[in-house]
Amino acid sequence: MSDFIAAYSWENIRYLLQGLLVTIEVSVISIIFSFIIGAILGLTRYIKVKRLSAIVGFVIDLIRNLPLLLILFFVYFGLANVGIRLSIFWSATLAMTVFESAMLAEIIRSGIQAVEPGQMEGARANGLTYWQGLRVIVLPQALKKMIPPLVSQFISLIKDTSLATIIVLPELLYHAQLVYGQNTNYVIPMFVALAVMYFVVCYALSLVSRYLERRLAR
Amino acid sequence: MAMIEFKNVEKYYDKFHALKNINLKVEAGEVVVIIGPSGSGKSTLIRTINGLEQVNEGQLLVTNFDLADKKTNIDKIRKNVGMVFQHFNLYENKTVLENIMLAPRLVLKRDEAENKKIALDLLETVGLADKAQSYPRMLSGGQSQRIAIARSLAMKPKALLFDEPTSALDPETIDDVLKVMKDIAKNEGITMIVVTHEMGFAREVADRVVFMADGQILEDDTTAEFFDNPKEERAKKFLSKIIKH
Ligand SMILES: Nc1ncnc2c1ncn2[C@@H]1O[C@H](COP(=O)(O)OP(=O)(O)O)[C@@H](O)[C@H]1O
Ligand SMILES: [Mg+2]
Repeated sequence: MSDFIAAYSWENIRYLLQGLLVTIEVSVISIIFSFIIGAILGLTRYIKVKRLSAIVGFVIDLIRNLPLLLILFFVYFGLANVGIRLSIFWSATLAMTVFESAMLAEIIRSGIQAVEPGQMEGARANGLTYWQGLRVIVLPQALKKMIPPLVSQFISLIKDTSLATIIVLPELLYHAQLVYGQNTNYVIPMFVALAVMYFVVCYALSLVSRYLERRLAR
Repeated sequence: MAMIEFKNVEKYYDKFHALKNINLKVEAGEVVVIIGPSGSGKSTLIRTINGLEQVNEGQLLVTNFDLADKKTNIDKIRKNVGMVFQHFNLYENKTVLENIMLAPRLVLKRDEAENKKIALDLLETVGLADKAQSYPRMLSGGQSQRIAIARSLAMKPKALLFDEPTSALDPETIDDVLKVMKDIAKNEGITMIVVTHEMGFAREVADRVVFMADGQILEDDTTAEFFDNPKEERAKKFLSKIIKH
């Protein structure tokens, strides 16, 4: 018990929170960029532009089937090898963005595909152009279907930032390791603290998702 | 100038020959009913008229545009040709009123106040004024179909296509929909092409009946002639079968 009290000194907690802040920074930046890129890629795969959609599809499938850790190594060590030097922070963020873009692209594409084809036919027969039908009828319905898988992907992303510990990104897990590295009695208390912090952030996100779903369902 | 004219039209789904040498002329204001067994190509035929399916050979003239010509802008034709589907295809994310007002606003740039007035009048016409703020999922099949018809009418189309509009409905709601369709046929002067098995409807308002089988038009007659004196053996058989029910 005394281990817990000592482990949770303000200094240690503040150190953990600094790590949490980096975790959140990497996550937020990756989420924003990968959502934009994923939307473009997913849409391109959906609307079937000759050749381009097939190429995009191949790249998406390729990335989705690689371990995130491998992509992280590619970005961090691989790019350095060809003379592109990124900071640890941006290497981690770039790797996460590449991987998540591919994951989100598939979620977005299948969300659009899950909207009944009759919706677009109705819009077209009603005189709307393809783009109007997509923008006003299909995409809003697709978004509603996409929210749960999108948010669960965002939650995975937040948890996966801990992989960047390996390239010494000073994120939450890494900071916890430094703390218990100094005193092995702190191992369990640090794990508990980590669990609480990841849980709070990720659970808050799923609450937001539920709220959005309810609002969009009307 | 005919409103719709098929000249030697052929349509394939890959290797499958879905429409075979179709020749059909529909004048402005005419009401034509298409009947035939399932799989005979009725939906395919009617869907080519507003470009939901492409034809492969021949000419398909709709309000003077040739749909067989790839350069034709389909959006121009769709403005004038509405369609009512078996499964309604109402916009699930929009209220009933928005379903009706959307296309006139986006496509015709109709003034908002006028748009709303027209939409509310149409809701009155189809007997669903109280549903303006409902969402499609709250409506019965018969109500949905009447809204879908109102949505098409709001575009003030020259022609309306109906693909088995009552086939997915409960029997007790069919008459409400048929009544709306009969009123359009009798009053509006809109060209109508209706795929249906409702022979009462055909007898009452159709100018002509077209019988299809195996992707071909086997018979194309005035309504009286078709019912009293069908020429094709298959048409006779088909008629005796559906009239028995
Ligand atoms: N998109 C499609 N792809 C391939 N075959 C189709 C397609 N749509 C219809 N068909 C085929 O074309 C034939 C005619 O279908 P359809 O026009 O729907 O007939 P109907 O409306 O008279 O029942 C059927 O044999 C059907 O299986
Ligand atoms: Mg059909």
